[in-house]
Amino acid sequence: MGKKAKSSRKGKKAWRANISTEDIEDFFEKSTKDAHSGGSLSQLPNDSLFYVDSSKDLSVKRKIEKHRQKVLRVDSVLQKNPFIQAVPSSKSKPKKSIKKQKDILKEKDATPDCPKDDSVIASGMLDIWANEGDIKSKKVSKPSVIPAVEVEAPGCSFNPAYESHQESLAQAVAEEMQKVYQNELGPEPVPFTVPGNAIDDEDRYFLEVDNASDDDGNVENISENAHENRSIKTKRVTRVELNKRARVKDLQTKKAKARKVEEVSKQIDCLPDIIQEIAKEDEENKKRHIRRLVAKQERLKVRPPRLGRHKFEPAPTQVLLSEEINGSLRKLKGCSTLAKDRFKSLEKRGIIYPMKGKRK
Amino acid sequence: MPKHYRPAGKKKEGNAARYSTRSQALKLLQVNTKLFRKLCIYKGIFPREPKKKFKGNHHTYYHLKDVSFLRHDPILEELRAKSTYLKKVTKAKAKKNRELADSLLKRQPEIKLDRLVIERYPHFIDAIRDLDDPLTMVHLFAALPATDRMKIEVKRVHNCRKLSHEWQAYIARTHKLRKVFISVKGIYYQAEVEGQKITWLTPHGLQQVLPDDDVVYDVLLTFLEFYETLLAFVNFKLYHSINVKYPPILDPKLEASAAELYALSRYFDANSRNSDQVEETQLEESELRLAQLQHQLPSNEAGALMQLVKGAADENEEDEGTKECKNFFKNMKFFLSREVPRESLLFVIPAFGGLVSWEGEGAPFNEADQSITHQIVDRPTQGHIYLSREYVQPQWVFDCVNARIILPTEAYLVGRVPPPHLSPFIDNEEEGYVPDYAETIKRLKAAAKNEILPMPGAGVEDLDDPQTLLAEGYISRTEAIEAAERKQKMMTLEKQYHDELKIELQVTQSSAFDTNKQSPGEDMEAREETLPDIQQIANDTANMSKVLMSRKKRGLYEAMKKGQEKKKAHVDLLKERKKKIDEGKKSKKN
Repeated sequence: MGKKAKSSRKGKKAWRANISTEDIEDFFEKSTKDAHSGGSLSQLPNDSLFYVDSSKDLSVKRKIEKHRQKVLRVDSVLQKNPFIQAVPSSKSKPKKSIKKQKDILKEKDATPDCPKDDSVIASGMLDIWANEGDIKSKKVSKPSVIPAVEVEAPGCSFNPAYESHQESLAQAVAEEMQKVYQNELGPEPVPFTVPGNAIDDEDRYFLEVDNASDDDGNVENISENAHENRSIKTKRVTRVELNKRARVKDLQTKKAKARKVEEVSKQIDCLPDIIQEIAKEDEENKKRHIRRLVAKQERLKVRPPRLGRHKFEPAPTQVLLSEEINGSLRKLKGCSTLAKDRFKSLEKRGIIYPMKGKRK
Repeated sequence: MPKHYRPAGKKKEGNAARYSTRSQALKLLQVNTKLFRKLCIYKGIFPREPKKKFKGNHHTYYHLKDVSFLRHDPILEELRAKSTYLKKVTKAKAKKNRELADSLLKRQPEIKLDRLVIERYPHFIDAIRDLDDPLTMVHLFAALPATDRMKIEVKRVHNCRKLSHEWQAYIARTHKLRKVFISVKGIYYQAEVEGQKITWLTPHGLQQVLPDDDVVYDVLLTFLEFYETLLAFVNFKLYHSINVKYPPILDPKLEASAAELYALSRYFDANSRNSDQVEETQLEESELRLAQLQHQLPSNEAGALMQLVKGAADENEEDEGTKECKNFFKNMKFFLSREVPRESLLFVIPAFGGLVSWEGEGAPFNEADQSITHQIVDRPTQGHIYLSREYVQPQWVFDCVNARIILPTEAYLVGRVPPPHLSPFIDNEEEGYVPDYAETIKRLKAAAKNEILPMPGAGVEDLDDPQTLLAEGYISRTEAIEAAERKQKMMTLEKQYHDELKIELQVTQSSAFDTNKQSPGEDMEAREETLPDIQQIANDTANMSKVLMSRKKRGLYEAMKKGQEKKKAHVDLLKERKKKIDEGKKSKKN
């Protein structure tokens, strides 16, 4: 079909078509609706619309119940009956359970004082060990044998005796020197810069080419060798040769057997020596074991086991230098605080794992 | 197939089942690292070293039991709640709502550790046994400066100060201090409470610099939190054991002049007198009255009052050590100069029964008091000198206390380099090496035991020389006694040896009776033969006891032996060195 001729938009017809009649239509719709439902509700007062239902309508309740889902017999059987005791999955011994209950009761008796009174009494203002007689103390495992406060050697006194001071000083110096030597003897760190000129792109190209040509030559050589090997392999084995091989093999096994027999007889001859050897070995093993045990105990006395990523590093000993000793408390030089000492002690005893503090 | 392949349904076994790494524990507990660390510290849980580290050497391992122990503790929930609360604060801060942040911080929920204290220390004695670390930590933080950067609050520093002073006051009051050692690091004290030896370390009263690099202050502060609670409970119990009300009410004037220790001792005195006089009346009321009274009391009278009360104080159930310590500095009055470390001396001198005063406000008596017997100074020269008293360096007090004998003051006079300060924590006998000064002290002690002390009424000035003379006399006498004893010992040893030889001979004679008759030459041979035999027997018996020991014990025994040998070698070395030094000195003199 052909296109409809487009009419002019400037005419009256076009105007009429564009006028919307929605509001009028809406009004009509509403009025008809109202007429059907019996008057609009918006104008009515609240009293006429709502009222308080004071009657007890049982019927509604019944209705609701009726609508509720029925409990199936299967489910009702499974529901808990208060008159029937549950069968435990595993029987526990009656005595123990009573004891446990008692313990729990006791604990409850013992502990609640503090939390209950917490709101009233400030912490620390009551005797929490008032009824300690009833509580059994559990065996608490200690992290290490190192005491919490280690008293320093007599040489670390502020006014030490000469000999003990020399000794402590020597120890401190040894510690320092050990660090120095470790630094010196350890592997050199990787340098940040390498001396020499940078390689140009062109040069690099040439280098690569050289390498490549070398590789080609190698490949050729290998292939030639392979050819030769193959030619050897294809040689035929004659009957004579096979026989010869069998004979040689036979002879070898015989010889080996004879040797074995001889060896055994020899060993029987020197049995006491072997027994002694075994005993010796045993003793050595035992000794090694003891040595290890001792070494481990010694190690645990001075340092904790490896507990984490970082290794424990003991703090250096605090000793006065020889020229710093003057016998006066007033002139005592201030050392670093005990904060570090305490922290190291905690690490040393294995209560916390060694941490790496932030570095500047 | 990997080395440790485990079929899908199979349970874990061995170390992998018994231990968990820290990250596993974090996942299990649903906490972050910081919170976990805190929890562990509160509950006293520490990392372990499993025999086989299933995740490698660079992990930290915990007992799975410990982790589940943490999981069931209510403190975990509290800590979580607190961390969420703190999130609110950070949010308020981020929104620049200063007021809200401040008010939130003020209303922060406080976490009580009381339950944990009793859980970890079900008996009082357990708490006492573990008091070393708490005391040291509290004393340390009492001396630290409060800084914002390290989150060390002023309130906590004050609390630490209070707790440490309370503890010191108790120890001083009950005379339980035993040893003091001043090292470069700080001052070590040892007290004996309830039969337990408690050692703690206090910093010197110098300026405290906080090391920045190696110390994680969060951890220390968490420890401190627990220790503060513990020490408060311990102090409470201890104070009540001597019938003193615990949160002590202090004289604000003394507190202001930083003499809390003295204030506490006065509080003790007041309290004990109080309990004597008015037990029936309401305690609190009288307490208040007393506190008011103390305000009005002039400081001069207090000293005399203290003495009066001390005489009347309960002297029941005290062991010998305490009695000795109580009467050690009796009838002595000390005065501390300005430059002397006041805190430690104010603690030590009253702990050994002395009276002490200092230069400053609130002191019980002033410098001009005629009854002062010792003035403690630490300066090169003393300007004005009272003839009635002796001027000594502070080290004298500590040395006297350690030696349990009033040492002659000559070596400790003003301006002199005092004799070495020896460590009382070293048992010289066990170590094998005895320094010179320790020997002289020992001799003096022996002398004092044998002889009656010189008359205390004699003039102090001319007492010095006769004292030293007497001391020398005692020394020579004790030397003679020692020599005699040594001789006697040698004699007995020799006698024993002879007896043993005789018995052995008899045995051999009876066994080889027939051969004995035949020829004397053979008899000689037999004797020679038996001698090594006996040695072997001795060896065998030693070996037998060794064999009977369990493997672990044997290892320990061997370790002990090695240690002894090492010690001996060390002592020998020291002696040799000393000899060399002496020789060097002699040659120099010549």
